[in-house]
Amino acid sequence: MAKERLLKEHKAGSLLVSLTAVVAGILAGCILLLVLGRNPMEAMRLIIHGSVSDPRRIGNTIAVATQLILIGLSVAFGYKAGLINIGGSGQMLVGGCVASLWAYYGQGIPRPLYLVIIVVSGAIAGGLWGFISGFLKAKFNVHEVVSCIMLNWTALWIIYETIPAFMVDPSVASRSASVPAAQSLRTPLLSQFFPRSYINWGIIIAIAMVFVIAFILNKTTLGYQLKAVGANRFCAEYAGIKVSRNIIISMTIAGALSGIAGVTYYCGYSNMIYRNQMPNEGFDGIAVALLGNCNPVGVFFAALFFAILKAGKGSLGAGAGIPPEIADTIIAVIIYFSATSVLFRRLWDRLFHGMYEKKLGKMNIKAAGPSSDVER
Amino acid sequence: MKKTLALLLIALIAMTSVFANGASETSAAAGTTATSGVATTGDGLMVGMVTDSGTIDDRSFNQGTWEGVNRAAQELGLTATYLRPNGTTTGDYTTAIYDLYDQGYRFIACPGYLFEDAIKEVQASGDCDDLMLVIFDSNLGENCGPNTVSVSWKEQESGFLAGVATAVDIVEGSVGFVGGIEIPAVQKFNWGFQQGVAYANANYGTAIEMDPNNFVYSGSFADLALGGQLATAMYDSGVDVIFAAAGGTGVGVINEAKSRRLAGQDVWAVGVDVDQYSVGDMGNGESCILTSAMKYIDKAAYDLVYAAYNGTFPGGTNMLLGADTEDLGIPTENPNLSDATMEIVAQVEQMIINGEISVQDNAEGLIP
Repeated sequence: MAKERLLKEHKAGSLLVSLTAVVAGILAGCILLLVLGRNPMEAMRLIIHGSVSDPRRIGNTIAVATQLILIGLSVAFGYKAGLINIGGSGQMLVGGCVASLWAYYGQGIPRPLYLVIIVVSGAIAGGLWGFISGFLKAKFNVHEVVSCIMLNWTALWIIYETIPAFMVDPSVASRSASVPAAQSLRTPLLSQFFPRSYINWGIIIAIAMVFVIAFILNKTTLGYQLKAVGANRFCAEYAGIKVSRNIIISMTIAGALSGIAGVTYYCGYSNMIYRNQMPNEGFDGIAVALLGNCNPVGVFFAALFFAILKAGKGSLGAGAGIPPEIADTIIAVIIYFSATSVLFRRLWDRLFHGMYEKKLGKMNIKAAGPSSDVER
Repeated sequence: MKKTLALLLIALIAMTSVFANGASETSAAAGTTATSGVATTGDGLMVGMVTDSGTIDDRSFNQGTWEGVNRAAQELGLTATYLRPNGTTTGDYTTAIYDLYDQGYRFIACPGYLFEDAIKEVQASGDCDDLMLVIFDSNLGENCGPNTVSVSWKEQESGFLAGVATAVDIVEGSVGFVGGIEIPAVQKFNWGFQQGVAYANANYGTAIEMDPNNFVYSGSFADLALGGQLATAMYDSGVDVIFAAAGGTGVGVINEAKSRRLAGQDVWAVGVDVDQYSVGDMGNGESCILTSAMKYIDKAAYDLVYAAYNGTFPGGTNMLLGADTEDLGIPTENPNLSDATMEIVAQVEQMIINGEISVQDNAEGLIP
């Protein structure tokens, strides 16, 4: 039995691949710092200082991670069905906009009910945005990348007009009036541990969503069908899976997740929406999903990692005496090296394959030997 | 494979613990320095800046602030840096301010009214009472903390001077305006410009038309293409000069003016905030920028760094800067304006300073 196990070829596990990517990313950042003549250890220390050195910073890092987790899940969910959801920014915007409208006009609703309403309505709005992309893909074969990009801008300009019409800040026309503290997702329950940070209910929602999405993907027929569509659309069709329906469902759920991210961003981390500003998180989420190998739990940790980098960036720029553009570049190098995990999967697989061949070779020699008991 | 994974994990944990140790050391260090005094004046002072949306080389607000801060810092031998926040939320801004503060910066300039909420939060936290904060383009009023200075300008006066200069120089024709987002600072430029043109029409015999259709807000400070489209439409409809008070969108207007001038058309653009003559450089030593309606933001930033250095930082004041203190106006060098025009502008400027001309800062009777 032991011998047979030895003969099995190892495949690189997701955790191994992601961790290699992270280490490679950090190493690449360190090399860049060395080239610039800075001490990499000092730089890493500054990043950690900026992100987790006191309760306020930890709270803010978690608040930044919240959106990244949700968008990462959104991208990952779409990816499982073979779809690339780069419409996260637009879905965030519509979700956040609807939630903000509730915040202005829904005052007086009991708070628990209010919180459910804004999250659900944000999810519906984001889901609608995702649905449009999914529908166009399923019925007219419009590539989701194209429709997502277009819908990002559609959302941006709708909000551009919505803000002055319904959420006007009389003093400043470039943004919405701020959401009153009582109407935001921020809660003393969490803030007491992280005073003066922007932590909010969003992180709890995000963690819940990690489990929900993991459940859908791994334990339901829907998840199975989505993965089948993602693995091979035509094969899935041949097996009797309704591909169009699954594409639409997948994009809708992905959109809903981004919509919730918008709620946590605009009514939690921030308390206003700027006109004419596309949130970056929609694109960062792609890198998060890739680093997390599109696995919900992986996405969670990848988002935390990215949040630490994002939150630590300013500290790096202020302390290391390098221009912020260089600090940005270093962070970007770490992030994008981390997102190249596919490369490392191949690398490890080749390595394991080499080891396997070697072992196989040894065993064959042994097997050929007279005293071997393999035949038995 | 399990072994490799375990090794990798151990390495990662080791790395984090090393960094974490380092982090706790500095936070301890920062804690002591905060109480025992990082320099808040004199030679050890560190001066910083947080950029608004847009980059440091925006040839506008960020750049102007940084030039002022950096020039003063270099003259005084101070450490200076700027940070670019992750986004434009209040959280992003406060984080950037705290990041600078933690590294010992005690003077931070914030260019733009978007910083208002962040500054209020930092003031209220009580974490950094020895931090000198400066916000440009904002009047905090009674929200201005004891160690904060808010600076705003009478943009209408600067727009007025540019309007007079434009009208007197082209004598007859039509002018237009492309603004960014409709915020008071941009609106006041627009209103001042209209008054200046009207003043020239009434007093210097010029005949300049102002069609309300040619006074528009693009809604963006960063849309080069949109600026180009708006400028195309205006120039096609017979506008001769466009006042572009729209950041990057304005650069689109300037580019359109540039290509038309190169094609032989006699059109101009008027720049904003800083001297944008070089932005309109057509590559042949000439520029399509007739003049610029400036606010001397670099001067204000420069002066405030000096004040902080000398221990005379005017914390708690809301400054309103105008022509009387030479804090705004058109550039001293205007290669595209005649000497006669410059002379008239100088006279008008003097009259504003004396109070003989008062430029209104609202839209009453004007194109809004």
